[in-house]
Amino acid sequence: MTVSQRGRRTSSAVLIYVIILMAMQVFLVTVAAEAFLADEAGLAWATAAVSVVLFACAAGFLRYLRP
Amino acid sequence: MTDHEPTAQPVDPPIWKRDFPFQAAAEEEVTRRDFARYLVAGTGALAVGNVGLAAWTQLRTINRGEPRAIVALNAVPAGETHLFRYPTDADPAVLLRVGDTDVVAFSQKCTHLGCVVYHQPDEERWHCPCHEGNFEVITGEVISGPPLRPLGRIEVEVRADGMIWALGRIEKP
Repeated sequence: MTVSQRGRRTSSAVLIYVIILMAMQVFLVTVAAEAFLADEAGLAWATAAVSVVLFACAAGFLRYLRP
Repeated sequence: MTDHEPTAQPVDPPIWKRDFPFQAAAEEEVTRRDFARYLVAGTGALAVGNVGLAAWTQLRTINRGEPRAIVALNAVPAGETHLFRYPTDADPAVLLRVGDTDVVAFSQKCTHLGCVVYHQPDEERWHCPCHEGNFEVITGEVISGPPLRPLGRIEVEVRADGMIWALGRIEKP
C-alpha cells in the first residue's frame, strides 16, 4: 500500500469516526433534554461533560486528515 | 523531498463533465477535510448546547406553588375526583379522594408528552389516552406505556375546617 493510499484510507476512517461522534452528540442532546424535563441536574452535567469530551475527540481527529 | 512523498498532479475533470459541460455559477467542491470541519463544528455546537441545557437545568427555579385551599372534603365523594389548577391557572391538576380523609393529588399532565390523564376507577389507575400511558393511582408511578417518570405529585392535607389544601408540588416524586 502506498503512502497516498494509506493517507486516503486514514482520511476515510477519520471521517467515519467524526460522523459516528456526531451521531452520538445528537443522542446526547436527547438525553440532556430528557434530564432537563426531569429536572435531573446531575444527569444533565454528566451528559454535557461527555459531549465536550466527544467534541474534543472529533477536533483531535481533524489532525489526521490530509490537508 | 523523499521518494515516498506524493507530488501534486493536475487532476483531469471527471468524465461526466465532458458529457454534461454545464457549470453553475455557485458550483464549488466541498473537500473531505472541509466536510469533516463542518461536522466537527456541528459537534461543537451540540456540545455547547448540552452545556447550556445543563446550566439551565441547574439554575432555573421551578414554581412549586403556594399553599391554598382547593375544595371542601365533603364536596368530593369517596372514590371521586376533583379537577383544579395548581400551582398556576395553566397547570391542570386532579385530586382523588381515596378514603374518608385520604386524598391524593397529581399534576394532570402526562409525563410523556403532556396530555391530560384521567382516573379509571375500574382499572385503579390514571390513564393517558394519547399513547396508552398508565400510572398507579396512589403513588403516580408508571405502570405501563411510554412515560418514564411518575406523575408530578402535589402534597395535600385535610385541615380541621374540612377544607382540602394544596401545600406544594413535591420536588422529587
